[in-house]
Amino acid sequence: MQNAKDTFYEVLRGRLAAINPERTIVLRGVERPGVLVEENELITTVALPECFRLRWTQAAADPNGALATIALECEIDYETAGNAFNSGMDRGRSLAAMDAELQSTVNATPQSAPKSNYTGLANGAAAVPMSTSIWWGPLVFGKTKITDDRIGRTATVVVNSFQEAGEL
Amino acid sequence: MSEVVETMAPLLRRVRAYFAPVNRASHQTTLFDPAQSGGFALDSPPAPWVDLGWIAGFTRHCATKIDPIRAGAPAATQLQARSEIEATVAFAFESWGKLQLALSAGTQQMNLLKPVSGATPEGSGASAIAAAPLLTGSTASVLQVGATAAAAFTVGELVAVDVDNTGATGFVGSGVSGAYLQTALTDVDYIRRITLNVGRIASISGGALTLESPLLAGVPTAAMKLSAVAGFCDREGSSFFQEWSALFVGAGQQGERILWHYPRLQASTGIAETIAPVLGGYEKARLTAAFRALPVKDPVDGETVVCFRSYIAT
Repeated sequence: MQNAKDTFYEVLRGRLAAINPERTIVLRGVERPGVLVEENELITTVALPECFRLRWTQAAADPNGALATIALECEIDYETAGNAFNSGMDRGRSLAAMDAELQSTVNATPQSAPKSNYTGLANGAAAVPMSTSIWWGPLVFGKTKITDDRIGRTATVVVNSFQEAGEL
Repeated sequence: MSEVVETMAPLLRRVRAYFAPVNRASHQTTLFDPAQSGGFALDSPPAPWVDLGWIAGFTRHCATKIDPIRAGAPAATQLQARSEIEATVAFAFESWGKLQLALSAGTQQMNLLKPVSGATPEGSGASAIAAAPLLTGSTASVLQVGATAAAAFTVGELVAVDVDNTGATGFVGSGVSGAYLQTALTDVDYIRRITLNVGRIASISGGALTLESPLLAGVPTAAMKLSAVAGFCDREGSSFFQEWSALFVGAGQQGERILWHYPRLQASTGIAETIAPVLGGYEKARLTAAFRALPVKDPVDGETVVCFRSYIAT
């Protein structure tokens, strides 16, 4: 499951960076594309605005077939306070722009990508391509949420993968 | 550790459809070679295939009859024989366009040519404005008509490009046969009414109309003219059977691909749409189509076949 989660994040990060290179965040002193996985970061970073925050929620496994099929639900939180130069009065437009970026990223074809094992990255090794691909369904937008001066939304997508032989 | 897996059933979200013409007069179909072209990019099919877009509810049905041949007492099946070959396919187009309308109608599909002022009303379009002749230098995508004629057209307008009807009989329509005339008609615009050689004007400059996509029939001949089109019309009860070569592609999530190739398809039902509810309280009208597969001889071994199914592994 971890390889599927890591691969989906890598795909999302790459596509978002291509669509809007200016959407970046600084995390632990490093500037990077504006997308993070909450469970991979310090607790204090998860409420960052102006970026996409991935949260893995439900998981299901279908054991029928030669390989088990895994379905992982991914919630994508994002919020914005708009532009300070406009006193935040463009926060609706800013949210719409984030909606469009996410929609273009997740719903773009192909909605699949070769799965890789990123375990070695911690030791300086390269990602290892695996034998199967992950694939995902359409993006489902949730209701608009207002928190203080921020406006935001949670979108959901189900990411699927085959559990390959020997994969943990 | 991982291993190559070729046993998982392909997971398809949707199927893409492609069209190629059948030359009705010479009984020449368009054959698709999966060995050479099976991995083509879905957005750019190999010529002469034309993208019809995504389809929904793709359903194949085999009605081939296999009969037992029994002998002995008591009788036991000794052999089997195929006594009939029959296959049908049904689906709904996700988009509307000239080709989708014509194929789903299954019969001649009329272009509603823009009428002359005060013309007598007709169910499939009144008398048309005189067609504009094409000038030399026209291509499949750029129609040279001269500055005066070009002023009568607008960007975004549909145009039908084909020859005058001068009493033709038999299959008519350039590129794709759009109708069969048993008797000669006097309407000079009739072939432009039924032609599938239709394009949309993307820009107008210097007496030239540039189309959004090339015409089905390719470079127009000097005898062709163009008429502005207001829309399309098909008629339940019409007698002609549209025939086409079809290719359907189902792309699996692991990069594998299933290709269904029907060299000859003709409509097996009448004209209908399916209505499905969509977000916001609206209903979406899809063009529903059902076809019967007709046979061809596979030149490889002379077998009579109605459909080729190919599987391209990753």
